[in-house]
Amino acid sequence: MKKPIIAIAGLTACSGCQLTLLNCEEELPEIAQRFIIDYFPLGLTERLITGPIDVAIVEGAVSTPSDLEILMKLRNSCRCLVALGTCALWGGIAAMKNQESRKDLAGTVYGSAADELKTFNPQPLHRFVKIDFAITGCPPEKGELLATLAALLRGTFPVFPRYPVCSECRSRENLCLLIERNEMCLGPLIQAGCNARCPAVGIRCEGCRGPVTEANVAAEMELFLKKGFPRDEIVSRMQRFYPEWNYEQRS
Amino acid sequence: MTRNLLKHDSIADFLEILATFGELHGPVLTDVGVSAFRPLGPGIDLLLDYSRTLVPPKKYLLPPRDTVLFFATDEGYRQPAAAVPETILVGLHPCDLQGIAYLDKVFMRDRIDPLYRARRTALTLIGLSCEPDEYCFCGDLSATETHGCDLFMRRSPCEFHLRSNTPKGKAILDRLTPILAEGEPLPADSRTCDMAAAIQQASVRGETFEKSALWDEFAGRCLSCGACSLCCPTCYCFDIREYGALDGETTMRLREWDNCLFKDHGEVAGGFNFRKSRQERFHYRYQHKYLGFGPTRGIVSCVGCGRCRVVCPVGIDLLELFKESEDEKRP
Ligand code: SF4
Ligand code: SF4
Ligand code: SF4
Ligand code: SF4
Repeated sequence: MKKPIIAIAGLTACSGCQLTLLNCEEELPEIAQRFIIDYFPLGLTERLITGPIDVAIVEGAVSTPSDLEILMKLRNSCRCLVALGTCALWGGIAAMKNQESRKDLAGTVYGSAADELKTFNPQPLHRFVKIDFAITGCPPEKGELLATLAALLRGTFPVFPRYPVCSECRSRENLCLLIERNEMCLGPLIQAGCNARCPAVGIRCEGCRGPVTEANVAAEMELFLKKGFPRDEIVSRMQRFYPEWNYEQRS
Repeated sequence: MTRNLLKHDSIADFLEILATFGELHGPVLTDVGVSAFRPLGPGIDLLLDYSRTLVPPKKYLLPPRDTVLFFATDEGYRQPAAAVPETILVGLHPCDLQGIAYLDKVFMRDRIDPLYRARRTALTLIGLSCEPDEYCFCGDLSATETHGCDLFMRRSPCEFHLRSNTPKGKAILDRLTPILAEGEPLPADSRTCDMAAAIQQASVRGETFEKSALWDEFAGRCLSCGACSLCCPTCYCFDIREYGALDGETTMRLREWDNCLFKDHGEVAGGFNFRKSRQERFHYRYQHKYLGFGPTRGIVSCVGCGRCRVVCPVGIDLLELFKESEDEKRP
């Protein structure tokens, strides 16, 4: 089996997704043996993109000219581009305040130094380049990352389920926080794969994995409103990990 | 007169004897307050008064996520070793027994599923009579004591009347004799339910409610959360996926619960979808549940347990279709 050459990069994000890889302690020797890791600033001293890459795995949103430069360079030198994590796929936490002025936001944080900053609204990768595959999650699940690497060895991508968190939640026989406790659980709208981590310990789904296929956003909104939550509270909860919900969407 | 009466205060002894036949499981209230089938043991209370568990007993036959095949380059395909422990499921309501009887038809008739059969053979079913609540609509299903269970417990104010239906059940009953009293067998109670009758009639006439406005209404509200099928004792749809291991050599094939209201359910290679819209998917669900298709054509597979009505976050209830047509008939 030919060893795939991979690059792992981080743009505007917290590095948590890349850490997910480093946290696969048991599997790291196997990964190091099966792949040639050519570019991985978080884990290698050598920091150059040297030649053609089979798979580039990119964490984070694009919010600076240098983010864009790295992304373009990777896209131009790789066969497959994999978006790693919610920021890369949906904008994520970094994009939470995208409807507010970037200039004002920068000013609030950096004061007068903000004028020097070259920053724009954080955007997911697909706004700029074609992505071939995505692993969602904030941070992504170890299992999905490893399954992706294993599939890449065979020259393919894995198939992940496309149902919402509720399905895993029900299969685990959790108490439904939405129905039984009238909590603002985002489970019905959010991509599964986490095995309902939060509801399993009594915490409502915060939506960190981003929208599920065919999310019925309008019906969930109606349900929350009927339960008495104010619209602005719902919207603010929903856009924590994804700012671009279409609140009219039904399928 | 036979020894078939179990006094309510002998339940602990009863469970102790049952446990000698295998791993004992039954309905309990979990820490988070969900009724669920779980292993029983000292300090764990068997629920004798419960309406329904969240997830039906089908999980013992078809686990939510199950490895069904392994592959290795050097040894080819291999089935998982079917070392299934003898399991005694106690406290099953008639609807759940009927649910298992239906799954038996699907998985053990014309094409036998080896994993299902191994698990089913290792299962002893002990039924328990119930009182319907506002979500139930089983009709006289509940009156039938057999439904393929090995032993049935019919409850009366001071005792349970036991009846064995199979050699397995008889063996258990024999061992229970020391703690049983003599009594007359209780006549099976009969229960009528207008909804169950309306469903039977609609099914016989092949009703599809094509013109109902409810389909669009359901489709507009459904969140495709999956609960209605995952929690249904007779929904058996599954998806198959394969995941390779990092060694590049071995692979496993998973079987996982599916729901016909998911987009993927009718999707095939190339992205073509047999049921693109939620409306179409609701028609499909209706047809499978109430008319049946393939080898189960003509069998109403809904056993009236009411779970789908309880677990739907947006209150979708297919029974409204039948109610609507009843209303139309009224002058
Ligand atoms: S608790 Fe949340 S994720 Fe779980 S079933 Fe209810 S709505 Fe879905
Ligand atoms: S087709 Fe739908 S109704 Fe029928 S078993 Fe599958 S999920 Fe259940
Ligand atoms: S369709 Fe609903 S009521 Fe009928 S058996 Fe399934 S969960 Fe129970
Ligand atoms: S339980 Fe209700 S919302 Fe969930 S998939 Fe079924 S019909 Fe749709």
